[in-house]
Amino acid sequence: MKTKFIALAGGLLAATALASVPAKADVKIGLLGGVSGAISAMAPSMLEASNLAIKQVNEQGGILDGETLEGVIGDSACNPQGGTDAATKAVNIEGVSVLVGPHCSGAVLAASGSVSIPAGITMITPSGTSPEITGLEDNDTVFRTVSSDDYQGRALARTLKDAGYEKVAVAYVNNDYGSGLANAFKAEFETLGGEIAGFAAHEADKASYRSNLAELADGGADTLVLFDYGDGTGLTILRQALENGFFEKFVGADGMKSEALIEELGPENLTNFVTSAPVGEKSDALDAFNKAFQADGGDPDAIFVTTSYDAAFLAALAIEKAGGDKAGIAAALREVSNGEGETILPGEWAKAKKLIAAGTAIDYKGAAGDQNFDAAGDVPGIYALFKVNGDQFETMTEMK
Amino acid sequence: MELIGLLNYALFMAIFIGIYALLSLGLNIQWGGAGLFNAGIAGFFAVGAYTSAILTSPAADGRLGGYEMPFYVGWAGAMLAAALIAWPIGKICLRFRSDYLAIATIGIAEIIRLVIKSEEALTNSARGISSIERPFGDLPYVSSQAAFLGIVLFLVIAAYFLVQRQFNAPWGRMMRAIRDNELAARAMGKNIEYRRLEAFIFGSALMGLSGAVFAAFNRSITPEAIDPMVATFLVWIMLILGGSGNNKGAILGAVIVWVIWSVSEIATDQLPHEYAVKAKYVRLFLIGLMLQLVLRFRPEGLLPERTTGVTRPEDEKSQ
Repeated sequence: MKTKFIALAGGLLAATALASVPAKADVKIGLLGGVSGAISAMAPSMLEASNLAIKQVNEQGGILDGETLEGVIGDSACNPQGGTDAATKAVNIEGVSVLVGPHCSGAVLAASGSVSIPAGITMITPSGTSPEITGLEDNDTVFRTVSSDDYQGRALARTLKDAGYEKVAVAYVNNDYGSGLANAFKAEFETLGGEIAGFAAHEADKASYRSNLAELADGGADTLVLFDYGDGTGLTILRQALENGFFEKFVGADGMKSEALIEELGPENLTNFVTSAPVGEKSDALDAFNKAFQADGGDPDAIFVTTSYDAAFLAALAIEKAGGDKAGIAAALREVSNGEGETILPGEWAKAKKLIAAGTAIDYKGAAGDQNFDAAGDVPGIYALFKVNGDQFETMTEMK
Repeated sequence: MELIGLLNYALFMAIFIGIYALLSLGLNIQWGGAGLFNAGIAGFFAVGAYTSAILTSPAADGRLGGYEMPFYVGWAGAMLAAALIAWPIGKICLRFRSDYLAIATIGIAEIIRLVIKSEEALTNSARGISSIERPFGDLPYVSSQAAFLGIVLFLVIAAYFLVQRQFNAPWGRMMRAIRDNELAARAMGKNIEYRRLEAFIFGSALMGLSGAVFAAFNRSITPEAIDPMVATFLVWIMLILGGSGNNKGAILGAVIVWVIWSVSEIATDQLPHEYAVKAKYVRLFLIGLMLQLVLRFRPEGLLPERTTGVTRPEDEKSQ
C-alpha cells in the first residue's frame, strides 16, 4: 500500500515538474480572483473583463517590443490563506510584473503585507473596498480602482444632511461591506451635526428582524438607513419594517439598489425609499468599454467588471510606460492617470503605445471613472442618490 | 522562472506548512492522544491570532490595542489566551461524549468568530487588524522569509519534541488508556475529567500559537482567515491523512495536503485559459479524494500510531 501512495505522490510531482517548464519570455500580469470561496459567483465575469483588456493589448501590437501580454489567473479563494498563496506563486513562479487583485479585502491585506510589498510588486485591486487598505505602509505600491466603502458612507451622510434628514437609525449587515459603510456614515453624519438614534449590526439570513427593528425604532428616529443587500436580508428587513410601521423613511446604499426590491414590495410602498449607488458616469469611456465587452460575450452590468477592466488596462499602460522595469511600475502608474495629458479611453492601446513611445504625457479615463489616484492609491467614486419611479430606479441627485 | 523565485516560493510554502503543522500537532494532542473530537480549531486559532495582533500592533482609533509589545510577548500571550479560553469551554463541554463534543465545539468556534466579527472595540470587527509587527519584517524579501522560517521551524521542532516526550511519558500512556477504555481507566483511579481538560488546554494553546504566527506573517488578521474550511477542516484532513496519534504523521499530513493544495494550481495553470479557471475547483476535489482514499485504504493514516508493548498473535488474527 505504501508504494502505491509513493507512486501517486511521485506521479503528481512529476506531472507538476513537466507542466511548469517556463514558456516564452512574455510579459505577465497576475489576475488574482476569488474563484472559489465567498464571491465565486462574481469572480468569473471580473476575470473576463480583465482578460478583455489583455486581449485588446495583444490585438493592437502587444506590449513593449511587440511581446505578448499574458494574464496568469490565481485563485485567492477570498481568504488570506488563498490570497498569499496565489500571490506568492504569481510573483515568484510566474514572475508577473503587476498583480491585479485579489478581490476580497482580507486577501488584499494579507497578500500585500507578506508578498507584494516586500517583493516590490505593484498591486491594483478592483474590488477590495475595506478602509484598512488606505492606511497600509506600502511604499506606494498598493492601488485600487474601486473607491473605499469609507467614501460612499461619507458621501451618503453629506447628501442626506443636505436633504434635511436630521435623526436616523442605522442597521448594517455584519461584514466588512456593511460595517465599513456604516461606520463611515456615522462618523460623517455626527460631524455634520446629525443625530444617530440607533446603530446596530445584524447577521444575514435570519427569518425575522422584528426585534432588531423594534430596538432601533426605540431611539425615536423616523428614518432607517440600511446597509445590506436588496436581494437578500435587506429585502426581509425592509418588508418587516414596512409591515410593522417601525419607520417612515428608508435609505439604502449600493447593495440595496436591486430590482428585486421593487418586484417584491411594489413601487407604491417604496415612495419614501432612496438609495445611493455608484454611477458609471455617462462617459465615452464607459460606452467604449460596454461595446467591447458585449462584443466579447460579457455582461457589462455585472458587478465590478468596469473596475476589473480598468485595473488590467492601467497595469498594461504602466508596464509600457516603465519600459518593463518592475520597480518603476508604481510610479509609472501614477503618471499614466493623473488627469494631465492626452486622453486615452478603454481599448485605445495602439494610440497610448504611440504616445508613450513619443514621450507624450497620457491620461487614462477608465470605464469606472477617471481613475486618478490620490496619495494613498485610492480613487474617489461617483455616486448618485436614486429613488423609485414606476418599476425602476431614477436618479435624484449627484452625491458630493 | 528564476531560481530566486523558486526559493521564495519554497520558503513561503515551508512557513505555511509550519503554521499548519502547529495546528495539526495541537489537534493531535486532543484527538490523537486523548480522543477529544475538537471541531472548533478555527476558534482557538482566531483567539491566538487576535490576541497577538492586539498586543503587538500600533495604536488605532476605536479599538483596544497600541501596546506595541515585541512579537514573542504577543505570541506567548496568544498561547495563554487560547489556553484561558479553552479552560471554561473544556470544563463544560468535555463531559459530552465524542460526537456531542464535536457539535459543541463547532458552536463555540462560531461564537468566537461572531464575537470577533462584531466587537468593534476589541477586534475592529469585520475590517480586521493590520500593521502587525512581523519579526525580521524589515529585511529584504528573501532574507525576511528565510528568517521567519527559522522562527517557525524552531517552534515546530520544539513543539514536536515536547509533545513527543509527553506522549512517551506515563502521561501519554495514561491518555491513551483513557481514550481507548474510559471505564477501565476510571477503575484504575485516573481522574478522567481533569486529564482530558489538560489535553484540551495544551492542544488549544498550540493552536493559539499557530494563529499568532499566521497573523504576524501576513501582518494582518481579518475574520475571513478564520473560515472553518481553511482553519478547521483542512487541519482535520491533515491529521487523518498523516496519521492521528503519531506526531510525525501530523507534520507529514500538513506537508502533503499543503503541497497538493498549492502546487496543483501551478499544474492546472498550464491548461488553456477557459479550462484553467474551472480547474481551480478540481483542487478542492483533489483534497476530498485524498481523504476518501486514505479512509478507504488506510484509515490509520500514512504514518499510523505506534503502540508500544507486546501484541499477541491471536490479537492480530482477531482484528
